[in-house]
Amino acid sequence: MASVDKTDTTQSPLKNSTVKLQIRDVSKTFQAKQPVEALAAVSLEIMEGEHVVFFGPSGCGKSTLLNLIAGFETPSTGEITANGKPVVRPGSDRLMLFQEHGLFPWLNVISNVMYGLKNQGEFRFRYWKQREVARSWLKMMQLEEFEKALVHELSGGMKQRVALARALAPDPEVLLIDEPFPALDALVREKLYGDLQEILAKTGKTVISVTHDPREAACLGDRVFIFTARPGSIQREIHIDLPRPRGINDPAVGKFAEQIMSELGDQKNDERAWSISVAEYC
Amino acid sequence: MKSESARKTGIIVTIFYLLIFCVWQALFNVGLIPDYLFPSPFQVGQRLWELWQDNYLLPSIKATLMRMAVGFSIAAAIGLGFGLMMGVNQIVNRCLRSLFLGLQTLPTAAWVPISLLIYGLSDHGIYFVIVMSSAPAVAIATSTGIVRIPPIYLHAAKTLGTAWYSLPARVILPAALPSITTGLKLGWTLGWHGGVSAELIKSTIGLGFLLYMGRELNDAAQVVGIMVVTILFGLLLDRFFFGIIEHHIHIRWGLEKKNG
Repeated sequence: MASVDKTDTTQSPLKNSTVKLQIRDVSKTFQAKQPVEALAAVSLEIMEGEHVVFFGPSGCGKSTLLNLIAGFETPSTGEITANGKPVVRPGSDRLMLFQEHGLFPWLNVISNVMYGLKNQGEFRFRYWKQREVARSWLKMMQLEEFEKALVHELSGGMKQRVALARALAPDPEVLLIDEPFPALDALVREKLYGDLQEILAKTGKTVISVTHDPREAACLGDRVFIFTARPGSIQREIHIDLPRPRGINDPAVGKFAEQIMSELGDQKNDERAWSISVAEYC
Repeated sequence: MKSESARKTGIIVTIFYLLIFCVWQALFNVGLIPDYLFPSPFQVGQRLWELWQDNYLLPSIKATLMRMAVGFSIAAAIGLGFGLMMGVNQIVNRCLRSLFLGLQTLPTAAWVPISLLIYGLSDHGIYFVIVMSSAPAVAIATSTGIVRIPPIYLHAAKTLGTAWYSLPARVILPAALPSITTGLKLGWTLGWHGGVSAELIKSTIGLGFLLYMGRELNDAAQVVGIMVVTILFGLLLDRFFFGIIEHHIHIRWGLEKKNG
């Protein structure tokens, strides 16, 4: 199984599982009047079933790398492979969950969740089967009585849960999360962290999430990659071997958050990012 | 609260129209302008009633609406097709946008002479005028709507595995639908202008034809009466048919709140 018990193999917990994503010397330069090097050559491997977090201040290339993995952008150099096959375009094997949910307003809640299923061979043109699967996901998100609701009738937290259901329904191998729950109040976020961990533990998905919040990184990640800016590159990798589920306010999580922050401590920009993320909390 | 204020507005609007009616009648009674040029509201009403009884009015309204239905359907299909191509491809957009904006500056009635040359005195010419009047507006609104689709919808569609060939039907057109309905509404109005203008010259039945006949007979009451009927139908379809569809779509998309 991919979800490894980390207490017995603390050094390299996931060595025995297979490599899901391989990122080899990938860099990205955006062509403009003055070319912008968003990401300097980066290499890393992501194992099946692990939750990796890209952490860093804004402009450090973490979102760029996520977009490259999703296939929205193509790398300037290097190669990304998923299951050994090179990534060329977006697809539901590497499904992205967006910061601003991106739900379709012309569809109601259940049709939004069914959307991705319609593109899959085994579900194509099988409405009842699609609806059955979508309902079970809505039930898991405790949204079953809202299946006929329209997107703008939902609260912010509910929209994010519908978006999560829509992303998980097509059963992606890798889930990419861009700033999981940014514009939500602290109480809703805390519950969502719990729900997210529970669901991911159940499904054993490989997850990559991007955040500028150290607590979020410590709460969600098995491994946290700390990025620095200009040009974006990985400064350090931290293993977090805390048992799950973790609460966002657990003292142990707080300790790791401090460690993550201290890696960035001497950079003024990042202190500002830290204070911004604290301000978002209050 | 809300319904009461709505009722108040309704009363004020009714009073406004009664006032117009009274001023019209008063101007007629003063008699500054001879009555064969300036009919009273009662004369207009009487003439319309006569036209109704002589079985002119209803067939004319039907004929005009049928022509509009055919012409506007063709225009909407052409406009949507071009709009989609323009919205998806930037080069097509650059080329066609200026052309269509140019065509739109042409008064709709200016299409009538060329349609006479091409089609002579047949109904096809009227369809031609309706299409040329309204299709550019539909195309421009559709392409604008598509260009302004928030990128996140397209990203979401792609990451959820949508194939390129099903993007237009599943995401692009639905996402642009609010602007498309606005464009269709504008296109309908322009087509209505063009259609009635064309009927003035080339038909043997229709609202435009009755207008023309009124002028031939020096019958000011008929001219004014048909103008009023044309305004009423234009308003009815614009406000109630297209207006209601537009309102529902905007509510569904969360762009405006339900009103009262």
